Amino acid sequence: MAKKKMANKKNSYSMIMVVVSVLIVFVIIKVIAPYAFMILLGKDHTMPTPSTLMLWYMILAILACLVYVSTSDLKWANFLSFILPAGDDKFKALFQKMIIIAIPLLVGWFVYSGTVPGTASPVELRIQHPTLPQEFEKMENPFLHADEATKRKCIEEGKHLYQQNCRPCHGSKADGNGPFANAFRLRPINFTDPGTIATVVEAFAFWRIKEGGPGLPGVSTPWDSAMPAWKDVLTDTQIWKIIMGEYATAEVQARQREEMEH
Amino acid sequence: MSKIKHNIIFRSLILCMIAGLFTFTCLRDGAAQTSQLFRVYSTEATGKIAETSDAIAAGKKIYEIKCYYCHGIKGDGNGSDAPRLDPKPRNFTRNEYKIRSTGQSVLPTDEDLFRIISSGVEGSAMPFWNTLTTDERWQVIYYIKTFNPEFKDKGERAPVSLGGGIASSSDSIKRGEKLFKEAKCILCHGEDGRGDGQLTTTLKKQWDLPFKARDLTQGWMFKGGNTEGDIYRTVTTGLNETPMGSYADYLTDEDRWHLSHYVKSISHGMKTDVVLKSKLLAGNLPAGPEDAVWDTLETIELPLAGQIVASPRFWTPSANSIRIKSVYNEKNIAFLVEWDDRTDEQSEVYSDAVAIQFPTKTPEGLKKPYFAMGDSSNNVELLHWRAYDESVLAAQRTDDSIETETDGGEDVEEEAGDEDAEAATEQEVENAVEETIEEFENFVTIKEMNAKGFKRLSVQPDKSQNSKGKSQWKNGKWQVMITRPLVTADKKIDVQFEKGNLIPYALAVWDGSNSEIKGQKSISSWYYLTLEMTTPNSVYIYAIIAVILAISIQLWVVARIRRFPTEIPS
Repeated sequence: MAKKKMANKKNSYSMIMVVVSVLIVFVIIKVIAPYAFMILLGKDHTMPTPSTLMLWYMILAILACLVYVSTSDLKWANFLSFILPAGDDKFKALFQKMIIIAIPLLVGWFVYSGTVPGTASPVELRIQHPTLPQEFEKMENPFLHADEATKRKCIEEGKHLYQQNCRPCHGSKADGNGPFANAFRLRPINFTDPGTIATVVEAFAFWRIKEGGPGLPGVSTPWDSAMPAWKDVLTDTQIWKIIMGEYATAEVQARQREEMEH
Repeated sequence: MSKIKHNIIFRSLILCMIAGLFTFTCLRDGAAQTSQLFRVYSTEATGKIAETSDAIAAGKKIYEIKCYYCHGIKGDGNGSDAPRLDPKPRNFTRNEYKIRSTGQSVLPTDEDLFRIISSGVEGSAMPFWNTLTTDERWQVIYYIKTFNPEFKDKGERAPVSLGGGIASSSDSIKRGEKLFKEAKCILCHGEDGRGDGQLTTTLKKQWDLPFKARDLTQGWMFKGGNTEGDIYRTVTTGLNETPMGSYADYLTDEDRWHLSHYVKSISHGMKTDVVLKSKLLAGNLPAGPEDAVWDTLETIELPLAGQIVASPRFWTPSANSIRIKSVYNEKNIAFLVEWDDRTDEQSEVYSDAVAIQFPTKTPEGLKKPYFAMGDSSNNVELLHWRAYDESVLAAQRTDDSIETETDGGEDVEEEAGDEDAEAATEQEVENAVEETIEEFENFVTIKEMNAKGFKRLSVQPDKSQNSKGKSQWKNGKWQVMITRPLVTADKKIDVQFEKGNLIPYALAVWDGSNSEIKGQKSISSWYYLTLEMTTPNSVYIYAIIAVILAISIQLWVVARIRRFPTEIPS
């Protein structure tokens, strides 16, 4: 048997290698990547790959394999030779049958899942940084140039106000984990994340607190933000203090406005 | 030889099926986003440092940056944030520590404090402070201990033995169930463990605040962890300064384990999902909330928060979760909403209530109405059930079962400005829909309302009221069945339930015994409802055609390659 296998040089398994590599890519994207990103990004839940991204990666993987096997006539012939009669090679016969059965099944599955009536999961996007409206752009923290003692006092007052008003959702630690946070599917923002309030100027935070979710511009729909518009109960001064307290609680700095020449 | 060939075909078939199954499970998205919502209590207590005056001073510094907003500068649990907290922050000057490994009325060990500071407490504002280094956490603990001189005076506190443990089994659970009654747990925790026992409303702590016995069915709300070991610890040590005493002297070690197994067995995790699938029924919809059909349906549980969007905001809601199921037939759709509520006491003003909110027009794009009561350009419809109204209407029906009278019971309107409420009251007449659907004979008409924001709420005219409801409260649980025709004549003000759409829905709950009314309520954000469809036969036909096509193309390719094999260049 072994002798025969050696003799039959035409027996190449490159088609099986292609199938296996495509499967490996699939497993990596589908199963391993969500966990890898969970660990890398320090999240407490897996990060599933979006299905469209998945589709593109799979198409790329298949194309790459096909390009590889057709880089030379030898490789191409070897690749196709797998379809030739298996002869005595039982494994080859087995793989051939598997492929022949699997391809129509896959096609059937795609057609079925494409036509079966069902509702796609809702798409929900979040615009992280809507543009700051003009009337807020020029705003400046009135305590910006105050002396140190006043600043310290404002920060402390702001921290109290933060704990009273913002804590239920954004959490005592400003980490977006307040006791109400779970109820809002668009979770309250984690301010300690360097990608959030640390990337905006204080005037931006002022706008978001004052106008809240209802004040977001039209492009920032789907209107899922549960951020209240605080202008109904908080004065502008209080909001500025909250901002100071909020940045202090989250232990991050606001982005500084670049000096513009007029 | 043919046998071998047969074998190979068989084996390859099985392999393919396994591969197919694997792909299928992989392609199925989102195996539910449960449990990650809630914290896991860590049992670790490491890196202990010496209790020096330096450590205490360092702890004071941290305490006065991180902790005092709730716990107060003097450690008396009276920080500036305390009025908005329920449960209240711990008062460190007293021995009211709940989660301890020490006996009743004994102060906790340093390790107990470390564990709670590291993990926080679910259902309260206490965050997990694992963001502090272990040294910092120990320093804070040493400072906290200075608030209560007993820590110093009484010296070392020895933990009680919490070792051993017996494995859970159905026998053990059964024994535990018996003990749950015998040890009088049901007096406070209630027959089904929802904290609705007969004593629960009579026990008051300072300032007349009620002692709420733990709802033992909500697994995520177990303070200090929900493993059997954690439950055993609480049963053994008791919770200081609460009616929950230690059962160490009353029940044997083994019995406490049985009890813990039973308590664990009646608790459940929160199984939540973004999309609620309404199932198609061929015949009649369930006859009421107690109908067995409901048990066959999938339940989705949604976390709730206090209404914090519009003033007056509400910081201390009673309900923290709500369950919903749905079913429909050709004519009507029905929802069963369930939530835990310790009492069913109602008053005219403060009544238990629930509302389901839909956009009046199913959004086509991403843009939905504002999740709380809609907005000026996007109308929402509310199906609003109120326990008090139902009891009034039901009583009236028995009084004069044929003639319907004007209803005097409807009173206060939630959310609406006061003037709106009064205007609405006058319009309230019960004989709304005359074409009573016989399917829902014992149901009462519930209020359908429209809102374009918190201040713009209106009750629909009587002729447009076509939702019905029926409820039951049993052992600490409300079950309210709400039903409505799928389509109505009022296309402008009513949501139309059409197949194939993702219809946003949101829920709100009021607990009358917690004085919840109008904007004082628990709310959810938008989730989606979809009416499940039967698969038309054409789908299968397409799939079969595709398979046949694939096979023939494949065979043609194989045949061609075998006939004209590519030359392998040497």
